[in-house]
Amino acid sequence: MVTPMTQMESPRIDSARLAEVSRGLDRAEIERREKVFSVSGLGVSYHGKPALEDVTLDVHRNTVTAFIGPSGCGKSTFIRCFNRMNDLIPGAKVEGTVLYHGADLYARDVDPVDVRRRIGMVFQKPNPFPKSIYDNVAFGPRVLGLRGGLDERVEKALHDAALWDEVKDRLKDGALGLSGGQQQRLCIARALAVEPDVILMDEPASALDPISTTRIEDLMHELKREYTIVIVTHNMQQAARVADMTAFFSVVVDDDGSARRGILVEYDTTAKIFTTPSDTRTEDYVTGRFG
Amino acid sequence: MAQLRASFQEELRELEELLDVESDLVLRSVRAAVEALVTRDPELADEVIAFDDDIDEVYLRAQEAVELLLARQTPVASDLRLVLAILHSNVHFERMGDLCTTIAKLTKLSADLPPDEVLLTAFREMGERCEEMIRIALESLHARDATLAESLIHLDELIDLSNRRVVSRLLELGPENLEWGLRAIVASRCLERIGDHAVDIGERAAFLATGEFREFTDASRDPRPLT
Amino acid sequence: MLFAMLVAFGTLAVLLVDTLITGWPELDRQLFSGPPSTVPEEAGARPAILATLYLGLIVLLLSVPIGVLTAIYLEEYADRERWWNRAIEVNIQNLAAVPSIVYGILGLAFIVRGIGVGRVVLAGGLILTLVVLPTVVVASREAIRAVPDSIRQGAFALGATKWQVVWRQVLPASIPGMATGSILALSRAVGETAPLIMVGAIVYVAFDPTLFGSYTALPVQIYNWTKQPDPTFQTLAAAGAIVLLTIVLGMNAVAIFLRNRYRRQW
Repeated sequence: MVTPMTQMESPRIDSARLAEVSRGLDRAEIERREKVFSVSGLGVSYHGKPALEDVTLDVHRNTVTAFIGPSGCGKSTFIRCFNRMNDLIPGAKVEGTVLYHGADLYARDVDPVDVRRRIGMVFQKPNPFPKSIYDNVAFGPRVLGLRGGLDERVEKALHDAALWDEVKDRLKDGALGLSGGQQQRLCIARALAVEPDVILMDEPASALDPISTTRIEDLMHELKREYTIVIVTHNMQQAARVADMTAFFSVVVDDDGSARRGILVEYDTTAKIFTTPSDTRTEDYVTGRFG
Repeated sequence: MAQLRASFQEELRELEELLDVESDLVLRSVRAAVEALVTRDPELADEVIAFDDDIDEVYLRAQEAVELLLARQTPVASDLRLVLAILHSNVHFERMGDLCTTIAKLTKLSADLPPDEVLLTAFREMGERCEEMIRIALESLHARDATLAESLIHLDELIDLSNRRVVSRLLELGPENLEWGLRAIVASRCLERIGDHAVDIGERAAFLATGEFREFTDASRDPRPLT
Repeated sequence: MLFAMLVAFGTLAVLLVDTLITGWPELDRQLFSGPPSTVPEEAGARPAILATLYLGLIVLLLSVPIGVLTAIYLEEYADRERWWNRAIEVNIQNLAAVPSIVYGILGLAFIVRGIGVGRVVLAGGLILTLVVLPTVVVASREAIRAVPDSIRQGAFALGATKWQVVWRQVLPASIPGMATGSILALSRAVGETAPLIMVGAIVYVAFDPTLFGSYTALPVQIYNWTKQPDPTFQTLAAAGAIVLLTIVLGMNAVAIFLRNRYRRQW
């Protein structure tokens, strides 16, 4: 017995869910979210030689944004602009504007120390301090004067970094005794302990084995619910797997072959970059035809 | 060790579930098309034709989802076979939907022509057989069961038998029912094609399970007679 | 190479054994508790030993803080572009190689007479500090340099100020290296003779030394005894040498032990 077909709704059809399968966030949804960073006309030079030129893009809340591109394209230089780590490099000069929640990050009265508390960073090679696991995670809160409830802070940070179960019985042991993947998760916990707003990751898994890499990527999926994440990666499949938005940088060489500068070629949803990129240079890079 | 790539596994599951949604729509379409044909109901036939849009919507969504999943997750091994199986099955379901539409259109054209009990019974049987085959094909895909998939061959033979019965009945009825007869043959052929598509899905399910793609029957080696 | 090693160790061994044999008879409590005397049987080196220890303490208390802070400034804060920093850079190594008697002359002129402190323990301590300060600075700089930059980057990225990075990460990590360098520098200071003679470690002191009092140091005392004709004094000198050697070798052993125990695997 058949009832009028169009009136009968199958209990399993859920058009909203249907639309979401595999698609991930689309551009409109991302742009509805609050802008965490708004970069315009950014350029970086070292001792007068330009390394990166005229970058303009926005990073939105609770997304993972990936920077990809060949070596020398300035992606690491770029990510260091977000937490003013370029300040520590002698001869580095930053032009253009970086707005963080609408405020100029490079304004005169902005204290880089305060910036770095809100915008944490994880580096390519895990760099745990030569102290105990506990002291590593507690270092941030201690230097920032966040005294209260240190034990709870450390535990929460280790939980959020998916490391608690493995180290909960040996918090006083030296951090250098952990494996590479564990050390990197410890560095993530360390960054989380100061309760940042944004986590920057400069090739966080390139020094790790595949399983540790996958665990870090899974961690990013979890973390983006609470934090905003920006990563640099030379592994574009990684960007395809984890990122919501992907920015492709490339190198331009002056006619006489002397100066090499980085530029932003294309910035769009990961789905778009890896299915129908707008720029041929992007297409050439992601298909591996040009390195 | 906790499961890795949880979000990717979730995406694969959702993609497989899309097939469930699609098959559900197709089953309803088959049921309604046959019902319209047998009861000579042009309004129901219209609904079947309109319903094809819903099936196409799911088809396009699944195509897009497969493309995105391949681009972003680079699945390998059994994950890759699953995605390819879904890709192919999706096309087969969409074709089944189109065939139902054809049957519905034929129904509309032959609504005021006299029916024949034998033929109507045959059509009902073929319709039920098709529904059964679609369910089994999907089940064998979900269960990764190659043996179950192979059992589709026998059901397909039954449809073929019914198809031949329709042809021989029409020859009996003679030339005064020519118009109706021609349309009936096409409708029968459509149902037989739906069965073939179900077998194709079964072949994909077997490929998913074993890693080897094999056609279940090959016309060039089929020992059965043509008529 | 083996032959060269044998020659070196052999010479050292011969020297040590010879000193030991020569000085053994006079190695007694009298040596440690009694003041020097013209009568060899009653002579001891107590004031000299005490003064040596005091001098060592002064050197330790002055050279380590100054040396470490200098090293921190040079490594962490100084802008390499500035010419004066480059000048300091170049000259620290040179200073470590200057013969100690030159320090003695300088000390005589500027500290003993210039400031007018006089021929006192404090002056001796200051001179010795100057002698070993370059070594402490160099050793501390090496220890600071050995701390990988990734540690600093990591600390900065967490929102630490420059001073917090230095005080909480760089210094603790470089303490073993600094301790080793300091102890070695100290052991050198304890054995210095020439500058002390220049600034007035009087050869015959029979009373216990005080900070602003006259003094003599163990190496000087030994030197004094070797000049005496009576053979007992030679034995005493050898005995004193044993004591001095023990102190110096003991310090070196502590330094080596510390270095091996706390050697960091970066």
